[in-house]
Amino acid sequence: MLGLLDNNMRTFQEIVHNLGEFWMEYGCVMQQPYDVEVGAGTMHPETFFRVLGPQPYQVAYVQPSRRPTDGRYGENPNRVYRHYQLQVILKPAPEDVQDVYLDSLRALGIPLEKNDLRFEEDNWESPTLGAWGIGWQVLLNGLEITQFTYFQQAGGVDLYPISAEITYGLERIATFITEKESVYDLSWNDRFTYGDVRHREECEFSRYNFELADKQMLFQLFDLYEQESLRCLEADCLLPAYDYCLKCSHAFNLLDSRGAISVTERVGIINRVRNLAVGIAQQYVKGNE
Amino acid sequence: MKCEGLKAYCTPRRLAIIARGLPERCPDKEDVVSGPPKSVAFGSDGLPTRAAEGFARKQGVSVDDLNLLTTDRGEYLVLRRLVEGEPLPDILGRSIPEIIASISWPKNMYWKESRFRFIRPLRWFVCLWNDTEIGFEFEGVKSGRTTRGHRFLGEAAIPVKDVDTYLSCLEDNFVLADSADRRNRIAEGLRSAAGTLKVREDEELLETVVYLNEYPTVLRGDFDESFLHIPEEVLVTVMRFHQKYFSLADEGGHLASSFLTVVNTDGDPDGRIKKGHEKVLQARLEDAAFFWKTDQKQPLQERVPDLEHVLFQERLGSYLEKTNRLRSICAGLGGGEDLETAAFLCKADLTTDMVREFPELQGIMGGLYACQEGYPEAVWRAVYDHYRPIALNDDLPRTQTGVLLSIADRLDTIVGCFGVDIIPSGSRDPFGLRRQAQGLVALLLSSALEMPMAELIRMAQRQFSTERPAADVFEDVQSFLEKRVDYIFQREGLSHDVLRAVMSSGLTTVHDAFRRAEALAEIKGEPDFEALAVAFKRTKNILNKFEGEITPLEVSKLVEAEEQELHSACENLRLRVKDCVEQKDYGTALRLIAGIRTTVDRFFDKVLVMTDDAGLRNNRLALLKEISDLFLSIVDISEIVQEGDQNGK
Repeated sequence: MLGLLDNNMRTFQEIVHNLGEFWMEYGCVMQQPYDVEVGAGTMHPETFFRVLGPQPYQVAYVQPSRRPTDGRYGENPNRVYRHYQLQVILKPAPEDVQDVYLDSLRALGIPLEKNDLRFEEDNWESPTLGAWGIGWQVLLNGLEITQFTYFQQAGGVDLYPISAEITYGLERIATFITEKESVYDLSWNDRFTYGDVRHREECEFSRYNFELADKQMLFQLFDLYEQESLRCLEADCLLPAYDYCLKCSHAFNLLDSRGAISVTERVGIINRVRNLAVGIAQQYVKGNE
Repeated sequence: MKCEGLKAYCTPRRLAIIARGLPERCPDKEDVVSGPPKSVAFGSDGLPTRAAEGFARKQGVSVDDLNLLTTDRGEYLVLRRLVEGEPLPDILGRSIPEIIASISWPKNMYWKESRFRFIRPLRWFVCLWNDTEIGFEFEGVKSGRTTRGHRFLGEAAIPVKDVDTYLSCLEDNFVLADSADRRNRIAEGLRSAAGTLKVREDEELLETVVYLNEYPTVLRGDFDESFLHIPEEVLVTVMRFHQKYFSLADEGGHLASSFLTVVNTDGDPDGRIKKGHEKVLQARLEDAAFFWKTDQKQPLQERVPDLEHVLFQERLGSYLEKTNRLRSICAGLGGGEDLETAAFLCKADLTTDMVREFPELQGIMGGLYACQEGYPEAVWRAVYDHYRPIALNDDLPRTQTGVLLSIADRLDTIVGCFGVDIIPSGSRDPFGLRRQAQGLVALLLSSALEMPMAELIRMAQRQFSTERPAADVFEDVQSFLEKRVDYIFQREGLSHDVLRAVMSSGLTTVHDAFRRAEALAEIKGEPDFEALAVAFKRTKNILNKFEGEITPLEVSKLVEAEEQELHSACENLRLRVKDCVEQKDYGTALRLIAGIRTTVDRFFDKVLVMTDDAGLRNNRLALLKEISDLFLSIVDISEIVQEGDQNGK
């Protein structure tokens, strides 16, 4: 053991807890994960809606994020179908936001001067949400541990003021600081490993996502979700409309991992989800004027 | 305002400019304030009027200080005043914010309430005139002399004493602001970290890491040797594109299970950074191993039908359709069974996970998988190489089969796109057709393909039911390709006139045209040849001017000795030239023709072609045409630029 840390943080749950506490003390609303399948913390309504419009906001939450194509049947040490993100939104972006972020890493006990930490240009984009931002990927000894973004647009709407979005990849940070070879070796707590808690889920969902998912059904669901989202949008009931937009997005991701979507269709389907997101965002902004 | 030297510095966190040899202030200049006209300013007695005195008072001087100045409108009373030049720091303080605001970036961002955009947020300004601060405020940030060092190794607030110590005080704080210093440090680091291994040169990657770090240090890491069973192409791609690592090779040129990474810190005394990078690479390589394994569960042949779902271009259909067209074009090129198999398989790797993950491995993966599946070398190498050459200086496919497949692929893309009106214009070339065409010409030049360019275009055209009229498409593609031929030939050192001469005689195959051009380039400076070119041009002019029909030559109607002589010289040459042309020995053919120069000259000296006798005239024109055709079977030498006659076309 190299003694990487200045404290004794050893378990996944401690690390998650600690980061959460850091942002809670900073003044963030400590939110809970959203209960609809999402591919990233950005899709949580606490990000999607909060970055729109003029009201300041600060929020942090853990978000389990499902990415069907990232499934590796529990065999890859770094890649999993469902991973946990810790998402922070600071609106407006404070001037010292990068330093605050670095403090959060120090709070985990990472001695930054002894490691290779860098901000590398990486502009983030989510075509399905009509969202993009400018920023960096944060690499710690070559491992991407955070996406750091100045949000420029969400739902196709120009943002004002600008929010800073910090998205931590929790498994990666935890694997790094506890010096495990594989995510599955992480101690979740003193008794159970990450593998104990999650390995079976990774295996079964990889199998489902790549081999089993019923394409026909997913296409049907996509259509149904889309209709429902549009219906809600029409009734100016935006949060439910957004839920169904998220469901469309997840159905699309599953179809993608099943290899059911050709390049031609791909663009079309992404646009359908995007249209929902853009419609919802525009109506939301209008309603708040 | 001039300065002696302007040097720019940039790192991931800062942009700086040091200007040397600037003057202290702007030059003084004379300011002229106009007063009343002379007629108003002075009375008939020659004394200043009240108007003149009023003007002087207003300017705070006496009338004696004023001068008369003659203008277009007459003489005026004026005040000439020397205005002192503004001190440069004042000008800089005013104009630097404007300069910052005027920088344009490919992608901009907002970061605060202000609607000002820049590439990344502006956080601090250091602005110094020698050792004096130049004050300004821009976007809420005040300038000063405080800079920041390396994020973790340097001080957070460093007062810069003066311009001359700017670089050294950054260096003391672990920032090498000068990219040349960083480049040297990296190059040195690569060399020493490689040890007995050899670094694979990678100029592009080097350039990237020079600008990703403020204090670059090279570390060496290793990966598990068991990954070496994955093809080298994949390993290098993973290291290079995902992790920006340099790869290493052993003495035999084989990839070693080590890598070099450039980190942004001063060292790694306890090895933790190296260990971190090794772990990341390990996971990436496991992913690659996963793709390598799972992709092979479905043979390429079975993947081909799935290409129906991979779009080539909206109006040109899927890659399955492209595959079918390629097969048919390849059959037309006569490359045999290997070529047709390669054409059938070449796009199948687009459905593999590996290519989805690393698009730059397209073609290469197909080749590697085909090799694994036991296809003949000619097949898998052709698939592997068929995107070559990507850039102008790239290697061409290593085999003839590969060359033909690459030709077919490009022909299909270019002709297909032109058919649906995707034609490059100006800076718009979304499909990179110019690059594709350049590659096509380079391929044709290197191939032994006997099919003329026109026939190739037509063959590709037959694969499409185009929206535009086929004849238009043909013409557009042909002139588009001819421009690329021009370009490539000029790169090969052929002058423009030689090119024109070859092209005017009609482009057959590219490599044949090239041979003609080479022969011509060699011979064109010889005196006989130059003179003959003049004569030939004259011949051509006469023939062009004549509007009637020329009937075949009748030997009995050749009356003058000079024309008989020319005729027999021509007869004498015809077969021998034809032989040479068939042997593609264009140099000898041109020299043979050049040999009749004196005969031609005598003919023009003594014989009047455009005589009034219609019979004689026709016969002489027919004779000229014979000679002309003789030349045109090789090149149109009238296009050769003459000394002192540069524009004489």
